[in-house]
Amino acid sequence: MARNPYLPYPARIEEVIVENEAGDIKTFRLVFEDPQSAKEFRYVPGQFAELSLPGMGEAPFGIASSPTEADYLLFSVKRVGLFTTELHSVEPGVRIGIRGPMGRPFPWDRMAGKNLLIIGGGFAFTTLRSAIKYILDPANRSGFGSVLVIYGARTPGEFMYKKELEQWRARDDIAVHLTVDHPDEGWTQHKGVVTTVLEGLKPSAENSLALVCGPPVMIRFALQSLNKLGFADDAIILSLEMRMKCGIGKCGRCNIGSKYVCKDGPVFTREELKALPSEY
Amino acid sequence: MTEKRISHTDLPRLLARLRERGPVHAPLEDETGDAVLTELSSDDLISLRYRNFRLSPKSFLLPQNQVLFRFQDGKEEEPALPDREMVVFGVRPCDAKAMQALDKVFLDGDQNDPYYARAREKTVVIALACTRPLSSCFCTSVGGGPGDGAGADVLALELDADLLLRALTPGGERLLSSVRDLLCDAAPSAVKEAEDRVRAAEEQIAPVKVDGSAQRLSNAYDSPLWASVSQKCLGCGTCSFLCPTCHCFDITDEVRGGTGRRVRTWDCCAYPLFTLHGSGHNPRPTPKERWRQRIMHKFRYAIENFGRPFCVGCGRCIRSCPVGMDIRTVLKEIGV
Amino acid sequence: MTASHEIENRLRATAEKLLREKKVDLFLGYEKASLPFRTTPLLLTAAEEAGRLVWNSFCTVNLAVYLPRLFKAPADAREAKSATPPPKVGIVLKGCDARSVVALIQERQVPRENLVLVGIGCPGVVDAQKAEKTLGEHEALGAGEDAQGSIRAVVEDGTEITLYRQEVLADACLECRSPMPAICDLVLGGPVEAKETDAARRRAAEFESKPPDARWARFQEMISKCIRCNACRQACPMCYCKECLLDQTRPRLIGAGTDISDVTIYHLARALHTAGRCTECGACVRACPMGIDTRLLTRKLSLEAEDLYGYRAGQSADAIPLLSAFAMDDPQDFLTEPSHLPAASSSAQEAEQARRAK
Repeated sequence: MARNPYLPYPARIEEVIVENEAGDIKTFRLVFEDPQSAKEFRYVPGQFAELSLPGMGEAPFGIASSPTEADYLLFSVKRVGLFTTELHSVEPGVRIGIRGPMGRPFPWDRMAGKNLLIIGGGFAFTTLRSAIKYILDPANRSGFGSVLVIYGARTPGEFMYKKELEQWRARDDIAVHLTVDHPDEGWTQHKGVVTTVLEGLKPSAENSLALVCGPPVMIRFALQSLNKLGFADDAIILSLEMRMKCGIGKCGRCNIGSKYVCKDGPVFTREELKALPSEY
Repeated sequence: MTEKRISHTDLPRLLARLRERGPVHAPLEDETGDAVLTELSSDDLISLRYRNFRLSPKSFLLPQNQVLFRFQDGKEEEPALPDREMVVFGVRPCDAKAMQALDKVFLDGDQNDPYYARAREKTVVIALACTRPLSSCFCTSVGGGPGDGAGADVLALELDADLLLRALTPGGERLLSSVRDLLCDAAPSAVKEAEDRVRAAEEQIAPVKVDGSAQRLSNAYDSPLWASVSQKCLGCGTCSFLCPTCHCFDITDEVRGGTGRRVRTWDCCAYPLFTLHGSGHNPRPTPKERWRQRIMHKFRYAIENFGRPFCVGCGRCIRSCPVGMDIRTVLKEIGV
Repeated sequence: MTASHEIENRLRATAEKLLREKKVDLFLGYEKASLPFRTTPLLLTAAEEAGRLVWNSFCTVNLAVYLPRLFKAPADAREAKSATPPPKVGIVLKGCDARSVVALIQERQVPRENLVLVGIGCPGVVDAQKAEKTLGEHEALGAGEDAQGSIRAVVEDGTEITLYRQEVLADACLECRSPMPAICDLVLGGPVEAKETDAARRRAAEFESKPPDARWARFQEMISKCIRCNACRQACPMCYCKECLLDQTRPRLIGAGTDISDVTIYHLARALHTAGRCTECGACVRACPMGIDTRLLTRKLSLEAEDLYGYRAGQSADAIPLLSAFAMDDPQDFLTEPSHLPAASSSAQEAEQARRAK
């Protein structure tokens, strides 16, 4: 009998890492209690899961780990409301539920063999981390062309995954450009918004796909720049944030047009998004 | 397909026999004289004089509130799902057809909803064809009809002295077979008369132009008419709650101390809080966006996704709207 | 021409003039609905369409319910900068509706100076559900009223059935004490006198004559039909909170399902929150799709507000709302001796009103 999709897999929080200076973004490393659950939970970068705390409810989060990181899952959570505040207050060892994996991931079949331009802003870097870890895995790297990452934050302290960013910047099979609005002393990298860096680097649109995740204002300007650089709408991949409940296309909350963001998204091409009513 | 008949006077015996194998819900009059689908106990006398019930029978498949699981000290426990078959007798064809629509959402083959699936599997639906439609009915304009049995296991048709019973599914065949000693064969003349009555009912139903709605609505998304047709809406939720195809729900946790449960409850896209984000942003901030969503979902998106509108023309929304909004008028004004 | 036709014509002329002379940007009234025994609200902006307005015994909706949303204050300074100035609104008001508007003015939800209040002396309105029930097996395809005020329904086989007003008038109208709008800019029609001024009191007393257990059982039986659709709240002009206390999640007071304890709290809380504010218009009863008499509690609470404090909602725009005011000698026996409520006699009421007027 098929598994009840409303019932979470039991898991435990093994580690809590504070990501940013402000302290309101934490990454949680989770391990399934039952190894069988881990076998069933086969996910692809770009997908999300619903984290469940009995009594507090659930909330959807992009999966920040890559399936190449075998024994655990990573979720990064920003403290904004009821559920996230509760999650931020728990210690390692606490039991948590995971439902998923859910959603349509990044289009890996289309991304094969392409040059990839990855643009992220602020907190929206979670599933991009998953994508980059996956691409850089030795078993996968040769399946893609060049990889250029542009990641912007307000201040240096606000970057997520600082350790990984440093590791990636040291590699020669990926170019990582970080930019901030407000540099501090000792900041040697870019200053300014992501689009400034993008237009300065002028990556070629030929045989390329762009993944863009960030706050709405960043996305808007990034899209304009990408169009100027010659990226067609179906070569621009976005991940949509939306109020969700069931995550499996039944409760209707994330319905936009004839799509359900939880099932038909959250990853959409710009072309697909343009066909939807702008109710998000 | 077996065509059988039972007299009205013998019908209580049939229902009593069905009660031996599981609960039977049939129309009983409540203290105000309204017909309500109620679980029968021994002495109840059913009444077939109703047009339709206030509440749609969707609550048999998707109850207003449903426990998804209970939890205690952090451990979850699934509720026991019904294992006895239940018979619901007297469902109107529009409401039976609505169940087919709900099947498309909850039994999508991708992630079937186990609670809905079990309820659907264990519920045998005996539909009762209509002979006296209301002026608010328009089932014939949305692919249905007063004698359309789609979604039901058995279709019953009223004659003066008898009820004709037609099995439509294997489950319906099994049900009629289990009471075959109470049934006679229906004469062809009786069948013809029943069908004549259905046709007469069809002719009473005023048509509403719904064909081509998907295309017309896709051109009308930015129409300024949405603002005016939705101005009166109070966001009261009556239409969605009574509608047999509306199915949006909310999921919440209810706790007391270390125990609790996760429940789902009916929700409504016309409620202002339905799409409110945690950040305070609301993509559908006024009745205009919410009414547009309602019409679009029912008459365009559902057609794009499932090939049929999510409206069965039962007219409950029209009759119960406290400010007299009429979905047929809205469709006409938007140009469908 | 019947009285209501004359009023209708005057109403149309009034609305047309107000719109044409730009004294109002919007005129709230009623127009024909698609089903009999009903009208539907009309938010009129074009003077030349004033002919759509109707006035009859099917004008049930309390139009005051639309006012708070028309005058919603900007959420913050940034919104305030780009906000359009509040509209000037004309509105048709029956006696109860007018009191709702005054209550909204008292609570600072609508600005008096932006309103043109067109009052109509109201002989009561028909409850569509009651009318349909009275017709039994028949379905009305059309309905109107005659010069005597009887309702004439034409049913599916073409015959005409007469329904007597007393049988089909809304319960709230049968108990109405304020058919004439109190505070208006102009009044069309009337004067109409309240008929059974003691009806509400008798109804409440009848229920109170049951022992407490029986009352509770009856109350639970009534609300067991509730499906938590919130129609009663949304139809009520006085329920204008952006987020209802009972919907809030932090803290969560009640679940959203139909557990009888949650349903009970919902109805008790709503009744208490409308105490001293309810104008007994009956919109809640008419909105309820399950036929629950939501006025069971509010009727009693309105009477208590009157008996204890001599206060009726919506009588005076300057009055401080009942539960926003406190006097040192306010009766408060009910706190310590709940069974000793003051006698509901008229002399006690007069004495209390005199005391308040000081």
